[in-house]
Amino acid sequence: MRQPYYIQSANSEISCAGIQTIAQDELQNINSDDVAYWLIDMRIWTEGWEQLCKIRRNLAPAVYLKPVLFLIDSDTIPQEIVTASDGNIHRSSCDERILEDWVSRVEPINQWIEHLPNAKVGSDANIAFKVLRIITSRNVELEPITTIRRHSGYVYPLLEPMFGKRDTGVLETLAFLESQHLLNGRFISSAHFCSHCGSAFLNFKESCPQCSSDDIRSDELIHHFKCAYTAEMADFRTGDRLVCPKCERELKHIGVDYDKPSIVYHCNQCSHTFQDPKIMTACYNCGRTAEPEHQEARSILAYTVSAIGQNAADYGLDALFTNILDHELHLFSEHAFRDFYRIEMSRIERYKRSTSSLVMIRFHDLDKLYIKLAGKAREVFYELSTIFKTVLRQSDVITAKNETIFFVIMTETSAKHAERAAERLQEGVSALFENNLDFKPAMSVRIREIHPKLDIDAALEDFLENDN
Amino acid sequence: MIIEDLIKFITSLSPGQMVAYFWPFFLLDMTRYVFLDFIVIIFYVPRRILHRHKYQQARNLLYKERPLVSVIVPGKNEGKHIPKLADSLSKQTYKNFELVIVDDGSDDDTAVICRELEKQGKIDCFIRNEIRGGKASAANTAFRYSKGKYIVHLDADSHLALDSIETILLPFYMDNNIGAVGGDVRVANAEKDIVTRLQAIEYLKSISTGRTVSSEMGILRIIAGAHGAFRRDVLERLHGWDVGPGLDGDITLKIRKLGFRVVHEPMAICYTNVPEKFRILAKQRFRWDRSMIRFRVRKHRDILMPSANFSLTNFLASAENIFFNLVLDAKWWIYVVQMVIINPSLLGYIFLINFILYFLANVVEFIMACVLLHSSLRRKDYALAFFLPLIPIYTGLFLRTVRTYAYIMEFIHGASYYDKWNPWKVSRIAKEEKL
Ligand SMILES: [Zn+2]
Ligand SMILES: [Zn+2]
Ligand SMILES: [Zn+2]
Repeated sequence: MRQPYYIQSANSEISCAGIQTIAQDELQNINSDDVAYWLIDMRIWTEGWEQLCKIRRNLAPAVYLKPVLFLIDSDTIPQEIVTASDGNIHRSSCDERILEDWVSRVEPINQWIEHLPNAKVGSDANIAFKVLRIITSRNVELEPITTIRRHSGYVYPLLEPMFGKRDTGVLETLAFLESQHLLNGRFISSAHFCSHCGSAFLNFKESCPQCSSDDIRSDELIHHFKCAYTAEMADFRTGDRLVCPKCERELKHIGVDYDKPSIVYHCNQCSHTFQDPKIMTACYNCGRTAEPEHQEARSILAYTVSAIGQNAADYGLDALFTNILDHELHLFSEHAFRDFYRIEMSRIERYKRSTSSLVMIRFHDLDKLYIKLAGKAREVFYELSTIFKTVLRQSDVITAKNETIFFVIMTETSAKHAERAAERLQEGVSALFENNLDFKPAMSVRIREIHPKLDIDAALEDFLENDN
Repeated sequence: MIIEDLIKFITSLSPGQMVAYFWPFFLLDMTRYVFLDFIVIIFYVPRRILHRHKYQQARNLLYKERPLVSVIVPGKNEGKHIPKLADSLSKQTYKNFELVIVDDGSDDDTAVICRELEKQGKIDCFIRNEIRGGKASAANTAFRYSKGKYIVHLDADSHLALDSIETILLPFYMDNNIGAVGGDVRVANAEKDIVTRLQAIEYLKSISTGRTVSSEMGILRIIAGAHGAFRRDVLERLHGWDVGPGLDGDITLKIRKLGFRVVHEPMAICYTNVPEKFRILAKQRFRWDRSMIRFRVRKHRDILMPSANFSLTNFLASAENIFFNLVLDAKWWIYVVQMVIINPSLLGYIFLINFILYFLANVVEFIMACVLLHSSLRRKDYALAFFLPLIPIYTGLFLRTVRTYAYIMEFIHGASYYDKWNPWKVSRIAKEEKL
């Protein structure tokens, strides 16, 4: 029988008797099969939100995929926050029966997690993959809600806590997954976003085509059939009646003795008369003004997982770069890589004849590349793999930290030669993207000569920390 | 032999008999169109030359004041003509004008064309009425949004001579009491075929010469919508145009009723495209002729009645028109009947002699037009002379038949209430109100 786990926090005491408590850093260390859901205390909802974000941003499937329930006692928590959990329990009604009831309600999610091949040991580094998995595990349509608290105007509450500031946007990630046919979208609404800052808060206003001022007024034209007098309604208005200034008759029934053939606009600034006002949009966030066609128009969709998506959620995205690279070059696990490093280091120390190098590579915008490439991603990644293949040798050992960070041990290669290899790699990558897209992923490389005093863990850690 | 017989017949007639046999020509047409024109032109041409400095003075005044002139072009489905019109306007000697186009419920791409020209700055104001309101309503819409001191009303399917705007404004600067000036209308597509050539001769006679003579005599009764200039204050007093058809003649008459002079300026030239098929021409004239009856006889019958604001020239302007069109239309049929009764065997001669008389009259009229307009005529205009022999047939048979038919239809059915220029809703009201 699975148990709920109450996430320990600094400011909340345990409010539900008999429930297990666990610290945030311990989540990975318990047997996930025992966990029914994480229970987060929302007494101070901003803190509770932090807890949720930590869980969802964890890379271990057994942690981030687990159901999360909020323990709430007020109705003032913003809508996009309360809906981000898998369910909410009101503190006043929190008793054993309710807690148990929820255990069975979230059981399908736990069973899905349990069936994953790597649920306990794996690490899902790719945000798109994480998104795919969390949607698949919930087995519901992912619907957006509108909000004025995010400048995108729409949020998918379930996904919000997964994304850190440095991650690609939620909308972009979903669009990517849809482009890969992993998700099916259903149209909800269309929306304009500021092309500069992405804000959905745009003021659409009619303005003068001559001087661009939005200080304009409009009036309806009236055509009096009898005398052919045609002028603005204001010219006809006498008290609350409409009287023709030409023939002095009162207008009675629209369509019988008069009609309204059109609407005319006037600019109060330059006194231009026109009928086709220029529509302008002003962004509430960054203040920039642009024509609507120069802003970004996007469809807002609700998403369900496709059959391919369900399969990919189980076994991984085979279009992911690491998968392709693995296929082409054979990637070692990070664990194996470290072992190789130690072997190589001992060899060098012993024979004192060889020099080998540790090369650390980071692609900075590879995430964006996924979105940009969409259906072409696989093809481009194959070419990218080929470049890796031509630069690296059979004897080199390569591993991937995640989709964007690679470590290579170049055996029998001095730092100088390794640098040249890295240059060729960089050139090859630049050429590939220059020929294909007007997009160049930035790439940073650090090279260290392997010697006994170089601590691999420290070196890699340092690279991860300091190369941003 | 025929010619010999013909000469024998003519020489056998005493002057009295001559008039008796050919009274329509001698008593009416020759007197009105040849003799009267001749007298007026004889005085007009030298005076125009002698008064050159007055025109120059007016031109100086005009350029000193440089008033804004609004060129208004109301129309339906005329979009295709607008780019060319805007282009010809941009070459005008007088530059201070605005172009106001009103699209009266077109169902083609007029709005698209005009919006584009508006964006390019070639149209100053474009108003599209989604619901068609008729010619008068469209003109009034254009007038409502025009800002100029003078309003020049043009048809879309026309273009102006380079100095046309300047020239049509000159009369306003020569006489403060002028309320409207008619511009000359000439045929743009004269070289197209025989139909357009005949109309070109007709326009030179009836508009260029005819209206100049009427204007000189103070009885001008129409400022053409195709090319007319109006003082803003005068149009404001009238609140613009009334329901058509025949709105051009109607507003001219109203301006006269206000006590203003209206004149024709033969040197302000607008070239317009005329029908190229007899069938289409017949339809056009049918419409024009019906509106003559309606507006002069029905709507403005007060002008013919002695009353407080009775004016002799206004009376004459209308009476002359009604008489020479309506009554003289009937006279021809009386004449034909008379000739058949008197001596059917002479019909052939009578016809031939009439033809020759009218041909000669047309030659004289054509020469007068040439003298009057010489500085503005082109070589190809003179070449129209070769078609003069066809004119008696064109005016005497073709136009007369159309006119008679139109008059009969108007009197029997009041058919022009259902004129295609007006939407049904407007025509219905007009008929109810007996406009
Ligand atoms: Zn303006
Ligand atoms: Zn009215
Ligand atoms: Zn913005």
